[in-house]
Amino acid sequence: MSGVAVQTQQAPAARHPLLVMRGHGPERRRYLSRTERWGLVFILPFFVMFLFFLVIPIFYALYDSFFTTRLVGGTVFTGFTNYETVLTSGAFWRGMLRTFIYAAIQVPVLIVIATFFATMFDMGVAKWGAVFRTIFFVPFAVPTVVAGVMWSFLLEDPYGPLDRVIYDLGGGHYNFMGSGAPLLGSIIVIAIWEWAGYTMVILFTALRSVPRDVVESAVIDGARLGRVVTRVKLPMIAPAITLVGILNIIGALQLFVEPEVLTVFTTNVSYNYTPTIYLYNQAYAAQEYNLAAAISFVLALIIIVISVSFVMLRRRKGAWI
Amino acid sequence: MTVAAVARPSAGPRAKSARRREDPSVVPLRLYGLRRGTVVAVTALAVVFAIFTLIPIWWIFVNSTKTEPNLFATFGFWFAHPFRLFSNMREIFANQSQGSLAQWFRNTVIYAFCGGAGATILSATAGYGFAKFRFRGNHALFMVVLSALLIPLTAVAIPLYILYAKVHMDSTMEGIILPFMVSPVGVYLMRVYISGSVPQELVDAARVDGAREASIFLRVAVPLMTPALITVFLLSVVASWNNYFLPFIVNNTTSLDPLPVGVYVWFQHSVSGGGYQDFYLYTICAGLLTIVPIIVLFLTLQRFWRGGLLLGSLTG
Repeated sequence: MSGVAVQTQQAPAARHPLLVMRGHGPERRRYLSRTERWGLVFILPFFVMFLFFLVIPIFYALYDSFFTTRLVGGTVFTGFTNYETVLTSGAFWRGMLRTFIYAAIQVPVLIVIATFFATMFDMGVAKWGAVFRTIFFVPFAVPTVVAGVMWSFLLEDPYGPLDRVIYDLGGGHYNFMGSGAPLLGSIIVIAIWEWAGYTMVILFTALRSVPRDVVESAVIDGARLGRVVTRVKLPMIAPAITLVGILNIIGALQLFVEPEVLTVFTTNVSYNYTPTIYLYNQAYAAQEYNLAAAISFVLALIIIVISVSFVMLRRRKGAWI
Repeated sequence: MTVAAVARPSAGPRAKSARRREDPSVVPLRLYGLRRGTVVAVTALAVVFAIFTLIPIWWIFVNSTKTEPNLFATFGFWFAHPFRLFSNMREIFANQSQGSLAQWFRNTVIYAFCGGAGATILSATAGYGFAKFRFRGNHALFMVVLSALLIPLTAVAIPLYILYAKVHMDSTMEGIILPFMVSPVGVYLMRVYISGSVPQELVDAARVDGAREASIFLRVAVPLMTPALITVFLLSVVASWNNYFLPFIVNNTTSLDPLPVGVYVWFQHSVSGGGYQDFYLYTICAGLLTIVPIIVLFLTLQRFWRGGLLLGSLTG
């Protein structure tokens, strides 16, 4: 590296890129066109794949959603008919409402748990923080399907071990997969089990990058633990909290695997339990690909509107993300 | 962004003595005026959450050692005689009546490795292009990549399957691997990391020396990007290893299924009655087999793992 530096000094001053960039004339243009060309070359491979495996399928779904395939007459253009069907169907909205309730509970609880442990480990309030952080991170390595299988067995009634523990303690039998609140509650518990540790690790490292002197000056001013956390640390990691918040909302609104796996042990997961299960059933069981495309578009739009308004809300408070 | 945070060893050697243990970057706890009771209470809460986290893992391990009747007849959180872990593991590979576990395992390894390697290379080049070059549309294109994070996978998987069917790419390995290589998060992490740890002066100096752009990338930038490369590779390997939805949708051939899909196929068979009860046990053992490699991978590569550090560098 030192060799590079020496040669830099020997090079003609006008050829130094930093000088060229600040200057005018053909050299600056040549420099810019070179970086322009190579910048595009470097991002090209990703964008080719991005185009083929993300952009084109999305636009294909959009195109498809304006057609209807009939047994007689083949595929015909029907405009917004599929969207009308989706938006006026109780089946879609019941699943959507259930998913909203799920997200409204799961995401805040998850963020609170993750933030609590992240700050406690960061400040060194809990003992053996490093050990706990490793343990909490383990579920990240477990595929959602396997998590669903494990929790299905754990929550099974009456053979499941959790039910047996409750029964032995005198609590009677409890159907964790009972329709309505018990089932949704169980899915929330599974999702928190899966994601709390990962979210905690992200927030923990964000907290770690808060400079010591900021905390120090607060402590010198006489701030106690609670004050340091709420007034110094958390405001500084607000962008990281927003980011994990958005990613969790997006994930929560796409809920599919956990309830789908639970169908093996319970009949309480209906064909429209979540919008994603509904769209899957429309596409495969009912072979209504065009309607499924419209559902996926409506769902994507709802997710985008919610995430963007979440970002906007934070922006108004002066944050950049 | 915060290069210092990345440069700090994540798990340095820890001295036993309390005085020497103090991390220079952390303000000592006693200065906050902390009560002992708070430490005990918070540690107790952490123990409770750790138990909650480990219950399913403990359960799947314990029950992989049982016989099928003991699965339901004995207490789920403790071992029962006979201890059958090894013969169970042999049996799940031997029984191929509902799909071959060895094949699924091999598929998952191929998908995870190829998907992970591809995602790492594509994210590294794109992240470098975004971080180190000025070109028209740089910011706009980066925003396009970021906005892809908002797109639900479900909106992509089904049209992808229909498109695959048209070009005869449904039920092929490429059809499953190639989408894994597109990782907007990877591009984002790479760009953030490269902006912070590959100095522009170094790149410019190499240009003055007449180095080609490709060799500047490979010989100047890549060595400085190693922690980010390992992180993105690990993240993408896990994402591909654990992905259920995409292979489930785009693939119809049992022999090309990855482990998570196979596990679910077995799980569904287990309740179908008629001599399939053994599949309760097989599902549990296959589940254990699915999670062990990734847990081992993370524990061994823990000191290289900087995922949190990259995302966490988003301080205000």
